[in-house]
Amino acid sequence: MDEYDEMYGIEDDFEQQFADELEVMAEMDREHPPGVKVSEFRSKKPISQTFEEAIVSGDVPLRKSVNNQHPESISPPVCEEEESLTPKPKKRRQDVVKKLQFGVENCDDITPPSSPEVYDRPARDGPGFSLSLSPDRSAATKITTNVLDISGLTALQKSPKQVTTARHAQKRPPAIGDYITVTDSMGNRVYLNKKEDKEKAPDPRAFRNSLNGLGLLAVPIEVLKEQIAERRHRQVLEESQRLTELMNSGISPELLAEEQKDSGVDGDSGEDEGLSSRLWVDQFSPQHYTDLLSDDFTNRCLLKWLKLWDTVVFGRERKPRSTPADVRSNFTNAQNQNQSQRFKTKSQMTEEILEAELDQYKRPKFKVALLSGPPGLGKTTLAHIIAKHAGYNVVEINASDDRSAELFQKRIDTATQMKSVLGANEKPNCLIIDEIDGAPAAAINILLATLNRKDSREGEESGGNALKKRKKKQSVLLRPIICICNDLYVPALRPLRQQAFLLTFPQTLPSRLAQRLAEITRRHGMKADTGTLMALCEKTDNDIRACINTLQFLHSRGQKHLDQRSVNSISVGLKDQNKGLFSVWQEIFQLPRLKRKRIGGDSFGGFDEAGPKDGTQRLQHILHLVSSNGEHEKLTQGLYDNFLSMKLKDPGMLGVCAGLDWMCFSDLLNECVLHGQNYSLMRYFPFLPAAFHHLYAANSVPRINYPHSNYEAFTKTQHTKNALLAMLNDIPPAVQSRISISCLCLDILSLLLDLISPKLRPVNPQLYSTREKQQLYDLIDTMINYNLTYRQDRTPEGQYTYVLEPNVEDVVHFPGLPPRRQLTYQVKQLIARETELERMRRVERAQQKRNSQKTETVKKDQEGKKTEVKKQTNRNHQQRLENIVKQTVVESRPELDFFGRAIVPKEKPAVTTTSEDGKGGGVVHIGKAVGNSDVWFRFNEGVSNAVRRNVYIRELL
Amino acid sequence: MVYKCLLEMVFGVFCSKAGEGPAEWLLVELQGEMVSRQNTGLAGNLMGDLHYTKEGVPVLVVGHHILYGKQVKLEKPFAVLMKHSGLPQDEEENMETNQENPTSYTVSALIKKKLIFKTRPKPIITNVPKKV
Repeated sequence: MDEYDEMYGIEDDFEQQFADELEVMAEMDREHPPGVKVSEFRSKKPISQTFEEAIVSGDVPLRKSVNNQHPESISPPVCEEEESLTPKPKKRRQDVVKKLQFGVENCDDITPPSSPEVYDRPARDGPGFSLSLSPDRSAATKITTNVLDISGLTALQKSPKQVTTARHAQKRPPAIGDYITVTDSMGNRVYLNKKEDKEKAPDPRAFRNSLNGLGLLAVPIEVLKEQIAERRHRQVLEESQRLTELMNSGISPELLAEEQKDSGVDGDSGEDEGLSSRLWVDQFSPQHYTDLLSDDFTNRCLLKWLKLWDTVVFGRERKPRSTPADVRSNFTNAQNQNQSQRFKTKSQMTEEILEAELDQYKRPKFKVALLSGPPGLGKTTLAHIIAKHAGYNVVEINASDDRSAELFQKRIDTATQMKSVLGANEKPNCLIIDEIDGAPAAAINILLATLNRKDSREGEESGGNALKKRKKKQSVLLRPIICICNDLYVPALRPLRQQAFLLTFPQTLPSRLAQRLAEITRRHGMKADTGTLMALCEKTDNDIRACINTLQFLHSRGQKHLDQRSVNSISVGLKDQNKGLFSVWQEIFQLPRLKRKRIGGDSFGGFDEAGPKDGTQRLQHILHLVSSNGEHEKLTQGLYDNFLSMKLKDPGMLGVCAGLDWMCFSDLLNECVLHGQNYSLMRYFPFLPAAFHHLYAANSVPRINYPHSNYEAFTKTQHTKNALLAMLNDIPPAVQSRISISCLCLDILSLLLDLISPKLRPVNPQLYSTREKQQLYDLIDTMINYNLTYRQDRTPEGQYTYVLEPNVEDVVHFPGLPPRRQLTYQVKQLIARETELERMRRVERAQQKRNSQKTETVKKDQEGKKTEVKKQTNRNHQQRLENIVKQTVVESRPELDFFGRAIVPKEKPAVTTTSEDGKGGGVVHIGKAVGNSDVWFRFNEGVSNAVRRNVYIRELL
Repeated sequence: MVYKCLLEMVFGVFCSKAGEGPAEWLLVELQGEMVSRQNTGLAGNLMGDLHYTKEGVPVLVVGHHILYGKQVKLEKPFAVLMKHSGLPQDEEENMETNQENPTSYTVSALIKKKLIFKTRPKPIITNVPKKV
């Protein structure tokens, strides 16, 4: 009865989860009448291989598919081992229970354990591990009650060993010795004597398995023994195989097959030798929708989206879908419904997208599906399978193709507009663009343009001629496109993201993955328990590809038995696995957390940080981590910025000193590498983080800040240097030749700044005494010589201040020290003004000096000429010019005296008389000389010899 | 449209230096013409003054005009020739002596450079207003 209820519960769940999927599949499967399916579930007796059955019995089709590849393996009947792999957990548990030889009456009372792992192991490993529950060890069972989660003592009491337990149970606490208090569900309390049980010396293995207490050996003795036994077994097998091969060299294949079947595990592996060249990933890649390992919801959504295209691609009409509420109402499981409403909001949104109306061309609203997720989850596989499943011919473009804009355009067009007419695969194309995040932005833009291409003359289509119509029709995208990317947030994808049906891949469920892995290992004759496979999943972050590749790798190395140790020790080749800087820093500064110990497994992840072996392992780990990260410089900066904020426990600061020494070493190394291009030294870089890890790693979670100090220091240096250079540039060369930047910065500036802030009375400089004036003059002289001045600046508050320009005050001001004495605003203003004035004066003086020199030379020249000229004849222009000069000098004289009366210049006649021609008067003389010379010059302007004619507009018109 | 400037040239020849061998003269080319004020003709009159600035730019001052020009090397140098003919006293003699006393040319000067003044002349203002 109970059992039936459980089964019913499973079905309930199933119906709830897969309702949509079933619906869609039913649509696809046209022959199948849609109404039958529910009843078929109920009957629980599948007659034929339908989808429903396939889903119910999980891996059956997979097995079938694999069987298709190797038909020999069909022949063995479904053995017990295979049965245990079917995804019917409840049933399996029952098997286990039966195997454990509990009485039939116990069956109902034992509630299934919360974690299947506990039971999976015994189930797989058979009687060896089932010992832990064997009846003769009932005392041990009692101790591990919590672990095994067996509720209710009554069951135990009913068990065949009840008698022995009853003997030790007492109603009162025993007077001597240890005891355990046990209360059953009825409220009866008994006291169990512990001492006596110990005398029984239970199987030590049980203790170790259940408690993991006595881990003196790194690898438990059982495992070692097992390994030795296995090795021996393998040797024997190899020997026998060699023999069989020798014998079978001439024997028919049927016989061989039979023999292989007889040899069991060995036969399987022998058969696989031929296939060893093939990657397991390919070999076991899912062939059908039902084989997919990825999240069901994602699969379903993508499939549904693809089905939306059916109308336009295949011309099928969409069936109106019954509302999900109807389906659910059949199963009035209130709790489940609540749960679904609470958690399915996002998925409901996605489904709403899928429910949305088709557009005018009967295409779905989103023309592109964009799958994103970390590598190895089967995105590409999913896309291929679903496209194939929906009846498309898959055309794939991936990163290895040329993806320049033109080629991309061409490929899109060929894929979406053409269709193979000849040949068997007369299916429409479905374009899959893999790793689109690596495509250039131009290519993505082309894709977008293709999506948005509109049939502009849609309205005229009915009236337009046929040829035009066909042409127009071709230009609209009528085929689905599926894009796949790892990183959804690449800038180039931004425009596409808005127009695409986004599907993010969640992590594969480890249990599902482990199950699949178990099947693979079984097929290849490898022994691996679920715990190991789970560890492998965890190690690869549920990366299907990495898991399978690792398995193959181990298999090819001849490891037939997989245990946790080998999984932990192997370095798994992962694709695209980069850890961010922050996580690297965190791992450097944090000790690895204690891993939870698995039952029966040797905890290998390090449980004692003091252990030397663990230390080396951590060292290796950090080295690997850092060298794979590669950003050494940034990493080092982060270490430098953060290591002092770690919790240091050395009062002598020895650790800090050591760390700084390491820093110096790393710096030298870096210099050596960069200066000498000696890159072979680069391999020593990762040792700095490793050393830091050993020096500073702590258990607590470190708070890590992004390193800014380097950048800040750099900008500050730059700023200072600029100020100093600006100052140095305009210092007069006489001074400049004696100072350099360093000497200015280290020796002069701090003193200079004191020098240029003397005590000055804040009064008008006119009122200064001569001494004060001299002081002011000296100050200004100094400032000019060092190219300093004050500049008025407006503070953000709106106040005006005078700051030194260039501002070298910051250069010699140490943080923490009190600021040096500042001059008052008025004094600074005064100094700034005076400096400016003095500067102008100096410039003027310098100019004058230069000019006077020039004029002197000019004068000399003129005089020389004059004498020369006078020897010959009087040059007329010279006379004239002299006259002009004299005249103007005369005329420009002030004519008014102090009282405003006109003054008759007395010198004027004298000047005119001194001129050469004397009586003629200046004006007459000049006129004669310049204006009335005998010869004059008439300038001929350019003459055009072109014919000029008046042309009116009306003639042109 | 093509405008073609016609230069009216006035040749003035200056003797630059006297020395052994033929003297070197300068050709002066003006855009414009020299006009005599009183229609007395140019002959014998002082035309103007020619100067050189420090940079070697020739400056010509004519009347109340000042002209700036430039010095150009002639593509084909000219030679100034003086013709010496057997002076013909009589016709017969001339006929007779034609053979033995042929006309000869002596190079009196070579002209290798010329000065071109083609910019618009600038006036020299003499009548300065008393008040600016």
